[in-house]
Amino acid sequence: MNHQEKSERDELRARFTGWLEVTLYRAKLNYVKKLERDKGIVYVDEMPEELWASENPERNWIQEISEPDVFHFEEERLEDAFDRLSEQRREILSMLFVEERTPKEVAGRIGCSLRHVYKQRSQALKQLRKMLEEGGEDNE
Amino acid sequence: MSKEEFRSILIGAVSGNHEDLEKILELYMPLIEKNSYLNGNRDEDLKQYLMIHIALQIGKFPI
Repeated sequence: MNHQEKSERDELRARFTGWLEVTLYRAKLNYVKKLERDKGIVYVDEMPEELWASENPERNWIQEISEPDVFHFEEERLEDAFDRLSEQRREILSMLFVEERTPKEVAGRIGCSLRHVYKQRSQALKQLRKMLEEGGEDNE
Repeated sequence: MSKEEFRSILIGAVSGNHEDLEKILELYMPLIEKNSYLNGNRDEDLKQYLMIHIALQIGKFPI
């Protein structure tokens, strides 16, 4: 085999090998992405029998899986504590954490200084923390 | 494998010939095996996925 023949053979094979390497790399990436997508999926045939064969038809097993009781409990406590805050503090926290507004925007909307927003936020968070630590009892 | 043999097999595989496709898969099995590892573990499902992917995509290779 002379040098020219070897070069010709290598050209097609090298081109195909290169194409295959890229194709395999992309396929592997797709496979990994698919695995990631499927991670949170729970298939019916993999579920414990007691979940779908519950005697109580009112029981919402999907909610139980996605939101355990402990989460409900914490959420309710936080909600109770939040309701005990003053109206202005509730308004400020809602705008900051729910509507995701900046402190400057909040100050503009309620017509107060930026400093006041920071102070109210800080005090409201302290108050919430204290109420949660004391089991929801507000002493302020 | 000579240049002509490889060309003939590749053209066959690209055209949809199953025997030629098997030969290509056999020839490139080390590359497929190399890509069949995830986090250091060999993944048989991934290997099957790659082989099926080659079978579906090889028709797009420009000879």
